[in-house]
Amino acid sequence: MYGSTNLSEEDARRMNTTVEDPEKLEAFEARIARGEKIEPQDWMPVEYRKQLIRMIEQHAHSEIVGALPEGTWITRAPNFRRKLALIAKVQDEVGHGQLLYSAAETLGKTREEMMNDLLSGKSKYSNVFNYPANTWADIAVIGFLVDGAAIVNQTINSKGSYGPYCRALERICYEESFHLKQGHDNVVYLATGTKHQRAILQDAINRWYRPLLHFFGPPDVQSAHSEKLMKWKVKLASNDDMRNQFLDMYVPKILELDITFPDPNLKKNEDGIWEFSDPDWDEFKRVINGDGPCNAERIAVRKFAEEAGRWVRQALMNPSEKYQVPLA
Amino acid sequence: MNNLAIKDLLLKMADDALIIGHRNSEWTGIGPILEEDLAFSSMAQDKIGHAQALYSILHETFGEADADTLAFKREEKDFKCCQFVEQPIGEYDFSIVRHFLFDHAELIRYDMLTLSSFQQLAQLARKVKGEIKYHVMHADIFVKKLSLGTEESKARMQSSLNYAWHMALGIFEKGEFEGELASENIFAGEEELKKRWLEKITPILEAAGLKVPLTEDSKIVYGGRKGFHSEYLKPLLDEMCEVVRSDEATAEW
Amino acid sequence: MSSLDPRVNRLDFKKATDGEVHTNSHLITWEVFHQDKRGKQAVHVGIVHASTPEMALILAKEQYARRGKTTNLWVAKTSDVYTFSTHDEDIFETTPEKTFRDPAFYKVRDRIEKFQNRNKVTI
Repeated sequence: MYGSTNLSEEDARRMNTTVEDPEKLEAFEARIARGEKIEPQDWMPVEYRKQLIRMIEQHAHSEIVGALPEGTWITRAPNFRRKLALIAKVQDEVGHGQLLYSAAETLGKTREEMMNDLLSGKSKYSNVFNYPANTWADIAVIGFLVDGAAIVNQTINSKGSYGPYCRALERICYEESFHLKQGHDNVVYLATGTKHQRAILQDAINRWYRPLLHFFGPPDVQSAHSEKLMKWKVKLASNDDMRNQFLDMYVPKILELDITFPDPNLKKNEDGIWEFSDPDWDEFKRVINGDGPCNAERIAVRKFAEEAGRWVRQALMNPSEKYQVPLA
Repeated sequence: MNNLAIKDLLLKMADDALIIGHRNSEWTGIGPILEEDLAFSSMAQDKIGHAQALYSILHETFGEADADTLAFKREEKDFKCCQFVEQPIGEYDFSIVRHFLFDHAELIRYDMLTLSSFQQLAQLARKVKGEIKYHVMHADIFVKKLSLGTEESKARMQSSLNYAWHMALGIFEKGEFEGELASENIFAGEEELKKRWLEKITPILEAAGLKVPLTEDSKIVYGGRKGFHSEYLKPLLDEMCEVVRSDEATAEW
Repeated sequence: MSSLDPRVNRLDFKKATDGEVHTNSHLITWEVFHQDKRGKQAVHVGIVHASTPEMALILAKEQYARRGKTTNLWVAKTSDVYTFSTHDEDIFETTPEKTFRDPAFYKVRDRIEKFQNRNKVTI
């Protein structure tokens, strides 16, 4: 659902100091400048590989961890239509995780190494999945707005330079357009329904508003920049630009249902830029560092899944077969 | 045609499909391998779809309530599923063994129903046969690989098979209308289904190195078809209906 | 652990001890090819992790054929698929220039018309 291009300060420093073979680097950068994609077997700068792995892996983790808050409601979906759609959607998230782990594998990190790094906390996933899905309305809001935000991010990233990631994202965007539609459908049913339905929807919007603003990462003025990541088409748009695009597309679709956002300062200014109150970037940092309402549970459940599934994977293993990095 | 007999058949098939689909969907997102997570969940979804189709026949042909009402607004005692499908998902070995035992019975049942004199059911059976065939292919491969895998996996599979066996035989609990269903060529009956099922699964289990448990008639878990359920169905239904019950009955979701 | 997820409350967390995915439990990968229509070519769509070809097919079905039309899937072990090195992409470089292989290269209408004009050919 989400591939963060935000650099840590250490990464940003290394990005600017690592020395690469100038001739190869020039050819590599010229290829990207021509609009061509990079394929797995190509020469690539060490930092390009590293940042892509980090980003794709984080995106993959976000998919499989993101399957958890929504999976919560599969057994409680209120009718056949919703139950079937929700199972299909959560399956898609798992499938997207599979596609993304595969893309990252082509860069030389195995799925198991990535899983281990998720479980040990070494690699991150999107903050938004560290918040609970309290009621059925959360499923509607996640389906519509979290997926909506993810599509903004993914559509932009699909224009990036790494072939396998772009291919995975194209398929993911196509499938997520279904998520968005079913999420909108769900939101509309609640908004046009009973008093109780409207109340749980409003409550869910109130709770998801800030995590949604956090979704695209800190404001540009606070983020570590890397001209190189832009030049290499790993990062394609700034956090603020993506956030603005998201607000532009989705705020009116909530307001038209006579549902409000919990922020009196949310408005579009004359330059077409959305303004909003400070969404508490300290909270964002706390949650990223493990102190969100559901961090512990998400990791515990993933640990359980890996542990409980280990005997299955071992039984399926064929020790005479040697793993080889997939082609594409 | 004997409507009571057909309705009874449709309802138990629909309830079986709904409850096992609901149970197996609990694995979504926490399966042992990503690819398998997806496949197992997708099959669960198919089952829920079959339930919907069967309830819809009850609604459209026999004037019963609509599919959502039948699934989400009935009392526990009105459910006719076998107790086997109500059991919690347990560990993956139990879920795979149940999937294997249940889906083989489903495939044969639907295969028999393609010839049913009750057209709506014959049509549905022809339509979903491919889906269930895939479920059985999946089950066969996993039963084989896990039973022939490691010492641990082998022991798990045998012990789950032993545990599941007499509950699985409860699938074939006879209904009130076995005679009518057979004489009117609607469905050849549970006894015939059980015979074919045993013939089909025995060699597969043996080839996987598993010992087929001895059947003791007194141990077979019956009751589900008459509305007597295990301790697990009521909490399952309470959870399934939680959202529906949280608001006025006319709310649309 | 008490969770909002009823499924999580049913899980037996005693099982999750260290949560490490042992690195030896790595299944091999299979390249997957998808045919969406009879008469069309099978096209590479991605990979699956699996231990046998049968399992690879069974798992590829849900990952790569759960939407739209499919007539068949192929799988091949990643290690059985061979490719050129991308450094050798230059062996293909001049191919597009070899226009004599293209039907559009052969344009004779002008020549025929000139011939007809020259020799007053009518039909």
